[in-house]
Amino acid sequence: MAKGTAEAPATEAGDAEISANTVTEKPFDREKYRRFYEQMVHIREFEELCAVAFKKGTHGIGGYLHLYSGEEAIACGIIGALDRSKGDCFIGHYRDHGYALAAGSDPNEVMAEICGKATGCSKGKGGSMHICDAARGFYGGYGIVGGNVPIALGLGWALKYKKLDGVCVCFFGDGSMNQGGFHETLNMAQLYRVPVLFVLENNGYAMGTSIERSHANPNLASRVESYAMKYDTIDGQNIVTVHERATEIVEEMRRNPAPFFLECKTYRYHGHGAADEAKQTVYRSREEIEQAKQRDPLVIAERLLLEQGAINDEEIERIRKEALAAAEASLKFSDESPNPSPDELLKDVYA
Amino acid sequence: MAKMRYIDALTLALKEEIERDPNVFIVGEEVAQYNGTIEVTKGFLEKYGPLRLVDTPISEAGIIGLGIGAAMAGLRPVCEMMRMDFALPAYDQIAQHAAKIRYMFGGQFKVPMVVRGPSGVVNQLSAQHSQSLETLFCHCPGLKVVTPATPADAKGLLKAAIRDDNPVIVLEALKIHFLKPDQWDHIQPGLSEVPEDPEFVTPLGQAQVLREGKDVTLISYSTMSITCLRAANLLAQEGISAEVVDLRSLLPLDMATPLASIKKTHRAVVVQEQWGLYGCGAEISAQISERAFYDLDAPVQRVAGAFVPMPYSKALETLAYPNENDVVAAVKRALAAK
Repeated sequence: MAKGTAEAPATEAGDAEISANTVTEKPFDREKYRRFYEQMVHIREFEELCAVAFKKGTHGIGGYLHLYSGEEAIACGIIGALDRSKGDCFIGHYRDHGYALAAGSDPNEVMAEICGKATGCSKGKGGSMHICDAARGFYGGYGIVGGNVPIALGLGWALKYKKLDGVCVCFFGDGSMNQGGFHETLNMAQLYRVPVLFVLENNGYAMGTSIERSHANPNLASRVESYAMKYDTIDGQNIVTVHERATEIVEEMRRNPAPFFLECKTYRYHGHGAADEAKQTVYRSREEIEQAKQRDPLVIAERLLLEQGAINDEEIERIRKEALAAAEASLKFSDESPNPSPDELLKDVYA
Repeated sequence: MAKMRYIDALTLALKEEIERDPNVFIVGEEVAQYNGTIEVTKGFLEKYGPLRLVDTPISEAGIIGLGIGAAMAGLRPVCEMMRMDFALPAYDQIAQHAAKIRYMFGGQFKVPMVVRGPSGVVNQLSAQHSQSLETLFCHCPGLKVVTPATPADAKGLLKAAIRDDNPVIVLEALKIHFLKPDQWDHIQPGLSEVPEDPEFVTPLGQAQVLREGKDVTLISYSTMSITCLRAANLLAQEGISAEVVDLRSLLPLDMATPLASIKKTHRAVVVQEQWGLYGCGAEISAQISERAFYDLDAPVQRVAGAFVPMPYSKALETLAYPNENDVVAAVKRALAAK
């Protein structure tokens, strides 16, 4: 894809574009993409089960619940390009379950956190928006739009300071780009050549406000030209595109430390949060959502794997069943887990 | 012991810590090439290099965010706010992120960072550069807030803050930065003395009795602790013996020291530069009422700034924050009560 040019939204991109992206010079790594496909299916089933459990209201899920369905290729493709042994790390926002699952965090601990249980990754103190996994370099999900972006600058700074050749990936959405701290961060990251890969998950909407209604310049990636930062826009629904481009960028960042801005065009299937599922038609049509699902990242991956002979229908069926079973097992684990004990209330305020 | 100014003690603390721990670095506006706006970091860039003395754009949220992330990744950033008033554009990073990261991630991370800078009312800097914002930070579980009042504590508390594993806000009392050692010692002999031991630190959360007395307890922090010492000198001329308790640290708050003093004097005056309404003095007074009501012979008196944005004109400014005469008047109110 051309740098600095506005791409059609992922929803409108045709099949021709997908094929073009998948014709690569590198040999197709069947094992790797099969693994990514499995991860994506696991995330989807996990998220859909969360939606059901939220509606049911009996599993302890309250507050806000932001689901990643439709955006899975981004977390899997990009986190899959990182190397923890080099110091690579990442930080996210509140739509964060997928990052942890893509990084290999224990789904039981993620689900238990969403349900507010003592066995959750954040001991039930953070909830859905504050999943993290320090051991896997996941510096957490944050609830304030754009609030995680300045912190990524510091994570990247630490890599530079320690003279490591790692990179920090910062995931954020289109809404973050209208926060002041975002622009302070991009300017400083470029100024200091801090190795942060800024990943814009452009799903078209900041809560219920479309790009057109909130960005004076709807070509979001081009906004970073004012920071003289390198950038690219890709189809975030295609796992091969995402992973290959991320791998190239990360390799380049290791050779020549500097930030990079990668816009991934995507779409979310659920409401902004599970609580406002019913209000979606206020800002987008059912037809638009259905149309977007024609470019489902799981279906695209499936098709590719089938074409490459890396999977068959039976295996696809089996992977789905396993993913559903894993999600259900995580909910069962959570249901059987204790609530945080009262003495946890005052712990962990200070180190 | 060496006699020095408050600002020199800050410089010494930073120098000692940056030399002691390779993970310590300083980041902020004009800290490096410009030598620091008020030259707290004079000569540091030359000595420690640009990775450890980081000049930034005027981007406070970026500075604090850089600090938070670096701290989470194991470094010990010292983020300078040119004035603490400028922490407000970064308040979301401080209050919503730095303060909460440990708790909301169940203890998986720590944020050993310092946010420091000159604070308080200073000559005619008016509404946006002359105020005490400690309540905004004290209202955040997860932060620590320290307010050094003497050269020794400027060194000791700043060093303790840098070594602490939590985000610590160090509110430096600009009004008394440039007092000369003999001016300090004139207020009270020995006040300008700073231990030279590079391992000297003042533990966070321990108040000190700056001056002993028996008739009334003055409880304060930062510049106002020095105002209380001046008031105590005036009161002594009238035969009134005032004990001055300097809290040093507002979060954690050591109430045991002032309560022990009140047990002895039976009268308390709480003095603060900031606005009284919902201020730190309100919390301290409430705790005295809850925990020492039967030790008191008089209602707790509060002395605080006028509830207005700081006016520019000297004629109005002097009316807007407490001086030693206001403290003396409050002491007399406390003593008049039977």
